Amino acid sequence: METSASDTKKSIQIEIFPKRMIKPDTVEGLLNKLCSLEGIQRAFIQGPRLPTKVPFGPAVGTPVHHPVRTNVHFGKTEMGLEVLVGRITLELAGKEVMEEINAICEDTLPCGFDIREGRFIQTRQTVSDYAKRGPTADPALYGLYDPKSKIESQVNLLRTNEKE
Amino acid sequence: MAYEAQFYPGATSVAENRRKHMSGKVEKLREISDDDLTIILGHRVPGTDYPSTHPPLAEMGEPECSIRELVEPTDGAKAGDRVRYVQFVDSMYNAPSTPYFRSYNTAINFRGVDPGTLSGRQVVEARERDMEEIAKFQLETEMTCPALSGLRGATVHGHSLRLQEDGVMFDMLDRRRLENGTIIMDKDQVGRPIDNKVDLGKPMSDEEAAKRTTIYRVDNVPYREDKEVLEWVHRVFEQRTMYGYKPAVQE
Repeated sequence: METSASDTKKSIQIEIFPKRMIKPDTVEGLLNKLCSLEGIQRAFIQGPRLPTKVPFGPAVGTPVHHPVRTNVHFGKTEMGLEVLVGRITLELAGKEVMEEINAICEDTLPCGFDIREGRFIQTRQTVSDYAKRGPTADPALYGLYDPKSKIESQVNLLRTNEKE
Repeated sequence: MAYEAQFYPGATSVAENRRKHMSGKVEKLREISDDDLTIILGHRVPGTDYPSTHPPLAEMGEPECSIRELVEPTDGAKAGDRVRYVQFVDSMYNAPSTPYFRSYNTAINFRGVDPGTLSGRQVVEARERDMEEIAKFQLETEMTCPALSGLRGATVHGHSLRLQEDGVMFDMLDRRRLENGTIIMDKDQVGRPIDNKVDLGKPMSDEEAAKRTTIYRVDNVPYREDKEVLEWVHRVFEQRTMYGYKPAVQE
């Protein structure tokens, strides 16, 4: 197996935390610019989920049609956005691109933001991950999708990186 | 001299707004028609009679009772209306009201109500026409900003989240949204689509929301700046702890 992001001791994780929840257009613009940078190994977007149907109450089962639940394009890859984006976590090969990321955020985000360094994506399997995926799971996918869901529904591999 | 209720201590704008909400002396900012209100509440079809659970009190022949003679029933109770609810959600980002102050407003200024106060939402149960009166009052006055507050019967998530880019509180059922500078609601409070769009009015600007809010925040009016409020809160806590609300013991 190739050395993955999680195995590399030098890789760092940062979290971009905007002061407002951001629209799909802004997410698309921001991630497209970030994708052009060298050294970003994994990205994780998080926010409140947008249901397709009313989950409970008297109107349970009624279709919602939330305008924010839409498709966004990163280069040649199309991805269905199922959350309103509240924070973006990136795994970087090193700190060299931090300034460029800061500049891109300042250009793209219409509101203030914080960038902080820490450990936001898990690097080891939990017991339930192990039970679902077994000992041969790809370490690059740790923490990127829920063990109960299908990998295709939550993880997107950018086509630009297919050859690598 | 007649006693005038003071409602709440403090010298800051937040304390003043809290007094306004509790006393009911709030400014009317917008107009929402009765039909529009009925549609977004979703309990009955606009223009239809109020369904009832019992005959009007006048026809029922009530038993002789000094309390019944003393207390006049509300209009809804007189007519025998059903009990129905309205539920509000207010953002933590400088929404004008909060669950507590909606409940104070309801309990102090209206009769025959059952306010329920929760961390992120506030529900009022009352006879249908009494409930509509409360909902209309709170929606039309400065107690509500259409962008920072929401009418949500179910699926209330959003009050503690950051606002969306356009300054509107998150709503996972997309009941209301910003269109051409005003907030439009095209679903009722539980998320059922309605036939026409209801205009809830223009959202408050950030400055206006900060001026009209009843929420102390470090980035607006910090709680610790309101010395009089702090003093009274300390006094209440100390007396409750030491004397169990028995001032006679203290003396």
